[in-house]
Amino acid sequence: MIFYILRRLLFLPVTLFGISLLLFLMIGLLGPYQRLATFINSPERLKGVDVDKLVELYGLNDPLIVQYGRWLKNVLQGNLGWSYVGKEPVLSAILKRFPYTLELALFAAIPIIFLGTSLGVLAALHHNKPLDHGLRIFAVVGWSFPDFVFGLFVLMLFYGTLGWFPPGNLSVWAEEIVKSPYFRSFTGMLTLDALLNGRFDVFLDALRHLAGPVLTLTYVEFAFLLRITRSSMLEVLRKEYVRTARAKGLDERVVIHKHAKRNALIPVATVSGQTIIGLLAGTVIVETIFNRTGLGSFIALAATQLDYASIMGGTLFFGLILVIGNLCVDLSYAFIDPRVRLE
Amino acid sequence: MKRFFAVLSLALFIFLWVPFAFSEVKNPDTYIYLAIGEADTLDPHYAYDTASGEVINFVYENLIAYKGESVTEFVPRLATEVPTVENGLVRDEGKTYVFPIRKGVKFHNGNELTPEDVEYSFERGILFDPYAGPMWMLIEALFGYETLEDFVQDKIGVAWSEMVDEEGNLKSEEYRQKLIDFYTTYIDPAIEVEGDTVVFRLTRPFAPFLSILAQNASWSAILDKETCVALGLWDGQADGWWKYHNWKKEKSPLYEKAIGTGPFKLLEWDRTQQKVTLVRNEEYWGEKPKLAKVIIWGVDEWSTRRSMLEAGDADQIYTPLQYLDQVKGLPGVVIREGSRLTITALHFNWSVAKDSKYLGSGKLDGEGIPPDFFSDVHVRKAFSYAFDYDTFIEQVLKGYGHRIPSVIPRGLLGFNENLPMYPFDLEKAKEEFQKAWNGEVWEKGFKLTLLYNTGNEARQTACEMLKEHIESLNPKFKIEVQGVQWPTYLDAYRQGQLPAFIIGWLADYPDPHNFIFTYYHSNGVYGTTQGEAFRKFAQENLDALIEKAIEETDPAKRQALYEEIQKIAYENALGIPLYQPEEVYAMRSWVKGWAFNPMRPGEANYDGIWKEE
Repeated sequence: MIFYILRRLLFLPVTLFGISLLLFLMIGLLGPYQRLATFINSPERLKGVDVDKLVELYGLNDPLIVQYGRWLKNVLQGNLGWSYVGKEPVLSAILKRFPYTLELALFAAIPIIFLGTSLGVLAALHHNKPLDHGLRIFAVVGWSFPDFVFGLFVLMLFYGTLGWFPPGNLSVWAEEIVKSPYFRSFTGMLTLDALLNGRFDVFLDALRHLAGPVLTLTYVEFAFLLRITRSSMLEVLRKEYVRTARAKGLDERVVIHKHAKRNALIPVATVSGQTIIGLLAGTVIVETIFNRTGLGSFIALAATQLDYASIMGGTLFFGLILVIGNLCVDLSYAFIDPRVRLE
Repeated sequence: MKRFFAVLSLALFIFLWVPFAFSEVKNPDTYIYLAIGEADTLDPHYAYDTASGEVINFVYENLIAYKGESVTEFVPRLATEVPTVENGLVRDEGKTYVFPIRKGVKFHNGNELTPEDVEYSFERGILFDPYAGPMWMLIEALFGYETLEDFVQDKIGVAWSEMVDEEGNLKSEEYRQKLIDFYTTYIDPAIEVEGDTVVFRLTRPFAPFLSILAQNASWSAILDKETCVALGLWDGQADGWWKYHNWKKEKSPLYEKAIGTGPFKLLEWDRTQQKVTLVRNEEYWGEKPKLAKVIIWGVDEWSTRRSMLEAGDADQIYTPLQYLDQVKGLPGVVIREGSRLTITALHFNWSVAKDSKYLGSGKLDGEGIPPDFFSDVHVRKAFSYAFDYDTFIEQVLKGYGHRIPSVIPRGLLGFNENLPMYPFDLEKAKEEFQKAWNGEVWEKGFKLTLLYNTGNEARQTACEMLKEHIESLNPKFKIEVQGVQWPTYLDAYRQGQLPAFIIGWLADYPDPHNFIFTYYHSNGVYGTTQGEAFRKFAQENLDALIEKAIEETDPAKRQALYEEIQKIAYENALGIPLYQPEEVYAMRSWVKGWAFNPMRPGEANYDGIWKEE
């Protein structure tokens, strides 16, 4: 087991190196003057500028491999460079935004997994009955809703009309408290920090601001989990051991919850894991619509402004999350399914 | 179970409780403005965008400020008088300006303002002169050069990069004395403390000088010397000044710190939220602002901004014209208007780079255009006749725009709406096309690409309208419309590949020179993109006039000179001046005291506003 984990972790640098090289080459396809747009962002700035001098100052004209080497050398020294989009060092820009992304992902994961699995089981148990059809239609509608449409709908209904769930991270008064010297930041996650500081009012305010994004993410994401659970459950229900259990005269609830559901949830674990990993990589649209701090919109902005230090840094970070996340999913198999041995 | 429900309903009550009170002003002491994006840097000598200027504008102060909505009249700020010829503070035929410095003014950290701070602020900026920064304005005004490096090279005779390496170290000791002498001979005497005054000495009269110094121009903000030196900025010494030249943006400690004398103090710049918070400066020497706090917050999504305005959680939001209908008529929301000094024009490249991918076949054979296609005045005139100016302003800009005879926007000296303009006249356009290239254009046809900078629907529509009308003249005329991203534009700009393109310009300072030079001078930012043939034309016909107009101090004579330049531009159809847009500002009706100034970076006068139903 330990060896398995170590072996997987050993591959991590190789994976990251590969990703970064590939990405750098892609950015390198743009000419030096195109990449200069990061530094000169409006025509007014062209006045009195020798663009060639700027290209030289930022080393944009050097051979790609030299530029990559320079970047890699800095990274190995722990310096991911300066983020022109984040307006601070890349590493700190990422680390400041990650708690917000993590918080949203965790809050969204709960209803997604809960609704996805429980409704999935329910649909399977009512196979081809109106409830099954109804749930499936409901899920497919959510699944096919573009998140920017549903997000805007949630914003307009729950904020515009009802005034319940405002956009942003916190209200003005709550932010004043959080930014005051008496409020200690332990995790960077506002809800958790508020509880640790004993500020229940701030906690509720943070929750109110989380509700809209969580609602949006839940509806657009849970459908996939529902379908996986449903089909997996249907398959299990046809298995011999379920028939045996029923033949033994076991109570139907025991059959379903103990014998069938547990086995049906094994593939669901993978999908749930991947959903959470996906949420951790940031949710550009939801972050933008609800004006929340997060990694997704940060990297998207970096990409549009060709801020290569941020793009590279962000990608390395996602790579890290992906590899570690998948490792966790694999490890969880060993616990869920005793037949799986990680050697 | 009962208790559980009681707790639950209580929680729900708190959770959902929102102060639903439209009669009541939300956050009465705090002004929340929702912008797009955020400041670039708070170093006044690096900042060159309106978002940065908006913050700097209220934290720092300048020697003088614009009077109300005017861009030609000034009031004193950190100076106690505005220099004029009449009060004897402008001398030597406009080459010397004297500013008496106000006493008893304190910086936000408690230090007292002195004339030395003023001298230091300008000298630091000029020596710093970062690439792509705004300092060229002062360098041009005071010394007649575009960059400090050009200035140094011209006086010492050695290129900057030969003398100083990238870290700011001398490449050879022999240059030390030369650079010290450069400072003591040219920079130091140009801005000097004399008693309680600071004197600026220009090498030639420069008409817009006061505009470049006025409030709203962050490059002329006054810094505290003591604080700056302590933070590691230029130490004020002649020896070693070159180490402080052209730092990268992030290296300047003033990047995120701002200690000025202004009516507001910088409380925080939260870059994860694109949010700047300013608080009232309780020790301000002038009239204190009524607002206790100002929040300038980048909310990039329009629907989010609109919802927050509607709910009253925002007091004012950035509103692009295409969304105006969505906020017009919302209860509690008012729309105010203002015309900034910005124009949009279409320009032609008289000699496109031969490797340009926008030329088609590169010949006049109906499948492309030759690189010098636009060097024929008839082609340019034909294009000028083929644009439906009035319909465009009426329909596309919804009336929020003005027609302009040349690149000078209304509100500036030199503007005259009676100057000749090309009417929309397809018959005349046809005649001109028939004359172009000895009739070859009409006979063989052409195919070309019109380019605009993306992100602007109005510009795209302008291109499409032009395409429609020109193609309707002759089936052999083919025009493609293509939006280019800013990076691509920049690249093609550098390589001289753009045959015809629409792009705008926003005034750096309110003077016609800023527009005329940019578009019509052979060294202007857009002048250089119009090809070698255009530059030759400009050198022969325009450059001398433009130079003469800037040195002239009599406004009537300047007006005449600028009209002459504009007539040359008209006769030669140098470009198509499309429009000057009018801007709209959506805000809550409880915003009182909001005023507009065309030169203000940002969208509100936070020092004058208050909230009241």
